[in-house]
Amino acid sequence: MLSVFARNLRTLGCRGIYQSYHINNYATSTEASFETQPYKLHKLDEGPSTNVTVTRDDALTYYRQMQMIRRMETVAGNLYKSKIIRGFCHLYSGQEAICVGMEASINKKDAVITAYRAHGWTYIRGVSLVGVLAELTGKQSGCAQGKGGSMHMYNENFYGGNGIVGAQVPLGAGIAFALKYQKTDNICITLYGDGAANQGQLFEAYNMAKLWNLPCIFVCENNGYAMGTSLDRSSASTQYFSRGDYVPGVQVDGMDVLAVKECTRFCKDFVLKNGPILIEASTYRYSGHSMSDPGTSYRTREEVQEVRERRDPISKFKERIISANLATPEEIKKIDVEVRKEVDEATEVAKTDRELPLEELYNKIYSNPEPDYQVRGCDPTIMAASH
Amino acid sequence: MASSIFKVGQACRLLFKSKATQAPNLWKIVTLSERQIQTSSKWMGVTQLLMPSLSPTMEEGNIIAWHKKEGDKINPGDVLCDIQTDKAVVSMDTEEEGILAKILIPDNAKEIKVGVLIGLVVDEGDDWQNVEIPADAPSSSSPEKTSSQSSSASTQPDSVSSTTTPQKSNFMGPSVKKLLEEYGVKAAEVPHTGPHGALVKSDVITYVESKKIPRVQFDVTAPSVDTASSISSQPVVSELPALDDEPYIDIPHTSMRKTIAKRLTESKASVPHSYASINCRVSSVNQLRKRLVEQGVKVSMNDFIIKAVGLALQRVPRLNSTWKDGSAHISQTVDISVAVATDNGLITPIVKHAASLEVDEISSTVKELAGRARLGKLQLHEFQGGSFSISNLGMFGIKEFTAVINPPQTAIMAVGTSRIIIGPDGSPTPEMTVTLSYDSRVVDEIDASEFLEMFASIIESPEMMVQKSLSQARGFF
Ligand SMILES: Cc1ncc(C[n+]2csc(CCOP(=O)(O)OP(=O)(O)O)c2C)c(N)n1
Ligand SMILES: [Mg+2]
Repeated sequence: MLSVFARNLRTLGCRGIYQSYHINNYATSTEASFETQPYKLHKLDEGPSTNVTVTRDDALTYYRQMQMIRRMETVAGNLYKSKIIRGFCHLYSGQEAICVGMEASINKKDAVITAYRAHGWTYIRGVSLVGVLAELTGKQSGCAQGKGGSMHMYNENFYGGNGIVGAQVPLGAGIAFALKYQKTDNICITLYGDGAANQGQLFEAYNMAKLWNLPCIFVCENNGYAMGTSLDRSSASTQYFSRGDYVPGVQVDGMDVLAVKECTRFCKDFVLKNGPILIEASTYRYSGHSMSDPGTSYRTREEVQEVRERRDPISKFKERIISANLATPEEIKKIDVEVRKEVDEATEVAKTDRELPLEELYNKIYSNPEPDYQVRGCDPTIMAASH
Repeated sequence: MASSIFKVGQACRLLFKSKATQAPNLWKIVTLSERQIQTSSKWMGVTQLLMPSLSPTMEEGNIIAWHKKEGDKINPGDVLCDIQTDKAVVSMDTEEEGILAKILIPDNAKEIKVGVLIGLVVDEGDDWQNVEIPADAPSSSSPEKTSSQSSSASTQPDSVSSTTTPQKSNFMGPSVKKLLEEYGVKAAEVPHTGPHGALVKSDVITYVESKKIPRVQFDVTAPSVDTASSISSQPVVSELPALDDEPYIDIPHTSMRKTIAKRLTESKASVPHSYASINCRVSSVNQLRKRLVEQGVKVSMNDFIIKAVGLALQRVPRLNSTWKDGSAHISQTVDISVAVATDNGLITPIVKHAASLEVDEISSTVKELAGRARLGKLQLHEFQGGSFSISNLGMFGIKEFTAVINPPQTAIMAVGTSRIIIGPDGSPTPEMTVTLSYDSRVVDEIDASEFLEMFASIIESPEMMVQKSLSQARGFF
């Protein structure tokens, strides 16, 4: 037995079992500063800082969160290909730094609303892995008890998944209006894609948000493609941060979690004082638009591979924190293993959990409905009590 | 499968518990990697690659070829193999990182069900050559089977190559068709490169550019068609280059078809149609008909219906009318148009004085008229005019239907087949449904109901129809 160990120790190098002996070798730094890519500004004299300081604990948290979302999405993709998840499913892989970086600069009383690419945001807004994965598999421990699926996940101050392209943007402005009206110090982050950026209703929302100086950060998650249409083929101007005209804007590297965090900090501060702002976060979507799109007919595999190698938000961040001595490769590996384990355990629950019983079908449509409240089914002859 | 894997993991944990005092962290790491994996004797973490569903309807697929060999490093985004789904050849890529340790289903393997284990991935640095294959892995994992499978596949290479170089197909989008027309090019000339051998726009563009084919000039002014002459003249033949592989056939618009189309459209668009149906018991009339046939009097159900309609129209004359110049005219005679199908369309020869003809006279009249109608030899007055129409699809088994009024007439009766129902006494009895379409400017609901009731009572008591010569001569009643 031990001789087998010894052999593995030699062959495994810095990985696997060997690392466990060194697990107490913590990295030496507790804090480090990093330079971000320059921001591009629209109607702003000053932008966010290009120098960002992060503590070791925070860095490890961000790493873990991004890795967790990546793994969760990988598993979701596999479950889909095993026909365990059905229906709509839009993966967030590649865009993790945006939700993780933004969440790091807001608090749980700030609101977020996004489109259908919502799994990462749902997780970062406090829903458990099981809550997301079981929602995808349609089981009762899902965050909408399995009734919503991929596009319909919600949590406190997370207004979810919205399936109609662009429709969440006026809603986001409305949430910001409510936050201002109630005299809170909170803001609403309203996200949409580069495709949605061409929707007319966005401009109506910008207008009203600016007219009333609402505390709204409009965020364009520019991942290069809509449902197969590259931004150059869809947008007369691809400078999305400048498309609010009279609404100031900033473009940030959406693959750098620290830049996103700093940019969001700056913007939260800004909108509370001055009204709305636009962020364009440049990012990339590794998978196709949805599970029915292999994502290879309108872009080359080489393009995707190049982004994975050169810009991947997780591996880039890993390299940075290791080289800044905020973490050791062993610590990172330990996180990876823990993440896998957590996701696998949640996957098991999502697969084996029960579906909501049929009697619950018509319940939880309205909050606190009147006693004996009846709702209509798909067929006009079906009327059912709803609690 | 998951449960058996879990058991292996448990065993692993137990195994290591005894080592815990020596290497506490080690124990931790191993339990942490106790995921959905098979643990080999080398305690490696193994990720299973399952046959993916790559289209919403895919149940099984063929592995065309692996892009990676056993022992190759794989990275997220790498293509592992090409899979033929029920729709297309799609690449299977991976989000995993590690070493492809084992290929369990080889190239050219056919009809692999979704969810079947097709390969194993281990972490980098693990002993991939000694990866343990799960007990429930597909049987093709044994080396002999693997080689026999691939050799048997290589004896039928055309089935594989057909997926990569598809046949030309007739399928093309409207924009492609338009391009072909614009350049006067035939689809067959152009190499097809689209999915499933479809012709795509870029094929046509490449073709016309390489051959320097100019655009065809089209006359954009509206065609000046002489409407008067165009009706009698031959159908207009399209000047556009005929495309082969057209997915439809043009039927020339004959003048008879034109007339039918015009009259029916006019009728349905300008006559306010109302409808009413009634069920009639037809056992008595069936029996009577049988008896007559036995006596050598060959009459059909249709002849009885014409007769019954004639009698009913005499009693409810409002249905025996025409609408002309904004008012109704009750006809003095009962002349019934009977729809007859010919190769050129429906035509309605008229049984004149139907109420006063005997059933056998009706029978011979209809036979004679229908015969000439099919030969196209009816004279104008033999099918124009008439005060009421009958359309009978009973012989085709049609249960019931509605017909379009034949203007200037104000009503038409559509006759369905006689079918067996359970009668009021519980025994089976034949029943027939007739549906009246009537012009509600002339006929109201009461008239229509009266007429139908009358018709039903006559057809249900057929002796009324054969009172005279027939019954007397043959002594039936
Ligand atoms: C109003 C409306 N139009 C079209 C669609 C179909 N559709 C769904 S997603 C999508 C593309 C949106 O792309 P983008 O905004 O860039 O978001 P991404 O998918 O890249 O995250 C389209 C056209 C829809 N859901 N709603
Ligand atoms: Mg997009």
